[in-house]
Amino acid sequence: MLQLKMKKQEEKLSEKMYDLVIIGGGPAGLTAGIYAGRARLKTLIIEEMIAGGQSATTELLENYPGFKDGVGGVELAMIMEEQAKKFNTEVIYDRVVSASLLGETKEVHLASSTIKAKAVIIASGAVPRKLKADGAEKFHGKGISYCATCDGALFRDKRIVIVGAGNSAIEEGIFMQRFTKDITFVQDLPYLTAEKILQERIKSYPETKFYLGTVIKKVNGSDKVESVTANISKENKEIEIPADGVFVYIGYTPKADFVSKEINLDSQGYIITDENLKTNIDGVFAAGDVRVKEFRQVVTAASDGAIAAHSVEKYLENK
Amino acid sequence: MAVVKVYSTPTCPWCVRAKQYLASKNIPYTDINVAVDRNAAMEMVKKSGQQGVPVIEIDGNIIVGFDQARIDSLLGIA
Repeated sequence: MLQLKMKKQEEKLSEKMYDLVIIGGGPAGLTAGIYAGRARLKTLIIEEMIAGGQSATTELLENYPGFKDGVGGVELAMIMEEQAKKFNTEVIYDRVVSASLLGETKEVHLASSTIKAKAVIIASGAVPRKLKADGAEKFHGKGISYCATCDGALFRDKRIVIVGAGNSAIEEGIFMQRFTKDITFVQDLPYLTAEKILQERIKSYPETKFYLGTVIKKVNGSDKVESVTANISKENKEIEIPADGVFVYIGYTPKADFVSKEINLDSQGYIITDENLKTNIDGVFAAGDVRVKEFRQVVTAASDGAIAAHSVEKYLENK
Repeated sequence: MAVVKVYSTPTCPWCVRAKQYLASKNIPYTDINVAVDRNAAMEMVKKSGQQGVPVIEIDGNIIVGFDQARIDSLLGIA
């Protein structure tokens, strides 16, 4: 019975022609969904994992305007999703395998169906950059993690190394204090790059250590992580830091590989757009972390979403 | 009826997703919070050979992470 019902749903999807398909349900995609819905565009958001994307892994967002006591990442995402649905934007959870974007009618290919639309906004975001060190792959899940809010609890009273010293790294270091005080930051630059307020907070924990201008070369252990070997660049000295867990926060890489052949990307793989968020392809726009931009935040992603939806509306009016 | 356990932490979005998915398919499961239950945390690490959440156990079979295809196949859903 269940099988039959699901097949019918798939058929319905591919029979429909949407005005707009938004690839990605993070803050950029969801905001685009709100604006497109209010513009009475027939809109579908396709999200592969969870509403909010990267922002859903943040326990508390303190710099998103409108929430002076902060708002949970997951909570904010759920509100945005409900808001988009309120204006009749549809949301489905599935993975986009590829997209044919050059024609007048755009086709977005899922594993078992194809969705057609007159316009597409790519808001697929970015994924955490992986640690480049010996043992990084071997110990993934066995001490190395890219999400402290997910896995941090498994390291209660253990020794933790956090790689990176930007906002994410410092936020997670603050988050981890509830589980363990043995926290060491290893940062390749000679200074912290996080917001000043976060720097103040992390420095208030006396047991937290910092190795700046230091690069991790090797992750060591037998079945799980036992230590990391790092090079202090200026002194050309190698040290071994005992650790049970390594949390990596060294930036992100864009998720644009499913469209790369047709779309203009910069040298790092981010999608190039003009100020109206239009890509080199007519009817295709990009919003949020996946596009070339200086400053990636939830609020700038949301702003992109609104602008992209507006650009789609103008594009469709002129068709 | 399959016996389903989800080892999770309260701040893990993929755990939220996995539980949402099971609920959407009307599959009853036991939610085990490894952030507060240390014995359960150790049990999870032993069963899955790793320290990431979620770990989903379906009739004794272990799935690490929200792997929808595997969940579907173990539950006999299309």
